[in-house]
Amino acid sequence: MPLKFLFRKATRTKPEQAACEDPRSVRRRDGAAYELAPAESPEADPLKRLWQQGRYAVIVRQGQQWRTHPGGDALLKGAINTLEQRMALLPEGTVTLPTTFLEGPGTPEVDVDVPAFLLACICVTNAQFQKFVDAGGYDELELWPKDIWPHLIEFHDLTGAPAPRFWMNGRHNKRLANHPVVGVSWFEARAYAQWVGLRLPTEAEWQMAASWHIRSSADVYRRFPWGDALDRDKCNLWLSGIGETAPVDAYPKGASPNNILQLVGNVWEWNSSDFEVTDAGGRPILGEMPMKGVRGGAFDTYFENQATSTFRTGLIALARTHNTGFRCAMDLKDATCLKE
Amino acid sequence: MTTALAERINHCLICEAKNEPEAVLCCECSAPMALIQEAVQQEREPCIISIIGDTNVGKTVYLGFLLDMLSKRGGDLEAIPKGAYSVNLQQSVIGHLSHRMFPPKTPSEVDQWHWAYYQVAPRGRGVGWFDLVMPDMAGEALAAEIEAPKSYHVIHNLLAKSEGCIVLIDAAVAGTGSPLPDFFGLKLMSYIDDMFAVKRGDKLDVPVAVVLCKADYCPDCFDNPHIFARTNLNRTWNICETRFAKVEFFAASVVGSLAYGTDEDGNVVSVPLHCAPRGILEPFQWLLSQL
Repeated sequence: MPLKFLFRKATRTKPEQAACEDPRSVRRRDGAAYELAPAESPEADPLKRLWQQGRYAVIVRQGQQWRTHPGGDALLKGAINTLEQRMALLPEGTVTLPTTFLEGPGTPEVDVDVPAFLLACICVTNAQFQKFVDAGGYDELELWPKDIWPHLIEFHDLTGAPAPRFWMNGRHNKRLANHPVVGVSWFEARAYAQWVGLRLPTEAEWQMAASWHIRSSADVYRRFPWGDALDRDKCNLWLSGIGETAPVDAYPKGASPNNILQLVGNVWEWNSSDFEVTDAGGRPILGEMPMKGVRGGAFDTYFENQATSTFRTGLIALARTHNTGFRCAMDLKDATCLKE
Repeated sequence: MTTALAERINHCLICEAKNEPEAVLCCECSAPMALIQEAVQQEREPCIISIIGDTNVGKTVYLGFLLDMLSKRGGDLEAIPKGAYSVNLQQSVIGHLSHRMFPPKTPSEVDQWHWAYYQVAPRGRGVGWFDLVMPDMAGEALAAEIEAPKSYHVIHNLLAKSEGCIVLIDAAVAGTGSPLPDFFGLKLMSYIDDMFAVKRGDKLDVPVAVVLCKADYCPDCFDNPHIFARTNLNRTWNICETRFAKVEFFAASVVGSLAYGTDEDGNVVSVPLHCAPRGILEPFQWLLSQL
C-alpha cells in the first residue's frame, strides 16, 4: 500500500537513540536498564497466528470458518474459554452522568441506560500491545480513521519506531511486560481494540462497571469499585506512594464485585465517548483539540475526588501520556457463543 | 523573655528593619512577624529558598503542591508547617485545583503575599531538621525588581539571603518557539549573578534548580530536560553553564488535562480538568542536597 509506505518512510529516528547499537539492551539517560522484550517468529498458519497474537475475539467471531480447519475446534474452544476468563459480564443498568464539569449537589445530570456487555478484567498490557505492533498494526490503514492518517507518523516511540511513546526500537521494556500499556493515543487504543475484535467501552459502560449501579431492587451505587471509602491498599494512586504503573493483576482487593481489576488507579482508561461537558451556565468546556473521555485516575492522581467511579474528565484524543491506557469491551450480542 | 530576645524578635530577618512589638507584618518588607518570631525562637538561622519566575509561569501552584506533598510525606522528606499562616497557600492551591479551578493570581502588593515557614527533614531520621522560608512572590513584582534592582526591597533582600533558588520557566511557551521565556530566564540568572557578584572566572556557589514548568505540553521536555533547555532556552542554558557551579534542569507539570471555557463576560478561562503532578519534589530534593 503506497500510502503506508509513505508514512513509515518519513518516520525519523532521533540521533541519540540511533547510536544504540544493540536494540536488546538499552540504557536510558536516567541510568535505568531498559531490557527490551524479544521478538516472536510469527506462525505461518492463519488460525495459529490469530491465536499467537491473542486475537481470541476474532477467532470466535469467525467461528464457522475455523471448524473445518485442522485443529480448529480445539483452538476455537480455547479462544472461547480465554474470553470467558478474561472478560466479565455486566448486567444492564442505568448510569447517571453529570453534564457540567463542576460536580456536586444540584449538578445537572443525564440518565443513560446501559445494556448488558462484557468488559475486560484487566487493562491491555505492554506484552499484549507488542503483538499488535509486531503484526504491523500501525501500518494497517483500515484500523485507523482516514482523517487520522496524516498523524500516524507521530505515533512513534522514543527511537522513532511505530509503537507506544515510551518504548524503544518498537519493543516494550521487558520489566513492564505485565504493566498496562501507556503512551498510546485514543486512536491507537481504538485500533488495537478493533484489531483484537473488541472495542473501547463507552463512558457510561465504564461508570456502570466501576460504580456497580446495576438494575436491581437495591439501588447500589459505589464511590469506588470495592465500596465507598478510599483505601490506598486497594488501588495505585499518588497517595499509594508507588509513583509508577503497577502490574495489571495487582491490587486484587480493589476489584469490582465481578472481579474487574484496577478500574480506579494505575492508569486512566480511554473510553469511546466524546468528552462533552459544560460549565454551570451551560457554556461548553472545550480542549484545544477534540477530547475523549478518560476514567478512573492513575498512579499520579493526587486528589481522591478525581479518582472516583463517577468522576468525568477527558484528554485530547491525540494525547499519548505516561499515565493513560485502556481496556476493551464487547457487546453481549457478539458474545452469544460464550454461553454455548 | 530576655530583653535581647525581645530585641531580636522585633528585628526582621529579611530586611533587618526594627519593628514595634505589636507589629503583624514587617514595616519595611511586609514579612509576617510571626515567621520572624518563630525563627528567632528556633535559635538558628532559617534557610531561605526562593521560588522565582515570570508571571503566569505557575509559581503559586508549584509552591502550593510542593508544600502539600511535603506535608503528606512525599518523597524522602517530611515537613511541618510552623504557624497556621504557612498553611494558607497550600490550602488555597489544593482547594482550588481539586475543584478544577486555578488559584487566584498573587497580587503585586507585598503585604498580600503568602509566606510559608516549614521545618523539613529527611523522613524517618528525625534529625537534621532545617527551617525553610518560602514566600510566594508575584511575578509582576519580580519582573519590576529585575528591571530596576531594589525597587522591591523585599525581593532583593530575600534573594540576597537565599541559600538556593528554584527558577521556574514556562516550557510550554518555550516549546512553541517563543524566545520570551528564554529572555526572562536570562534576566533572572543575570540578576542573581550580579547580586552575588564574585570574581570574574569564579562560578557562583548558590545552587539553582531550573524547573521547566508545564512540561506536559512538550513531552520531549520530560524525556530530557537538558536537551530541551539547551535547544529552546539556549541563552539561559549558557549563562547557567558559565556562571553557576551548582545548577540542574528539571521538568515539571501539575495539570494532567487542560480545557477552556468562557466566563460571563466572554473571556476565555482555563479549566484544569484533572491534576497529575509530576517532577515537583525532585528539584527541591536536589536543592536540599546541595545546601
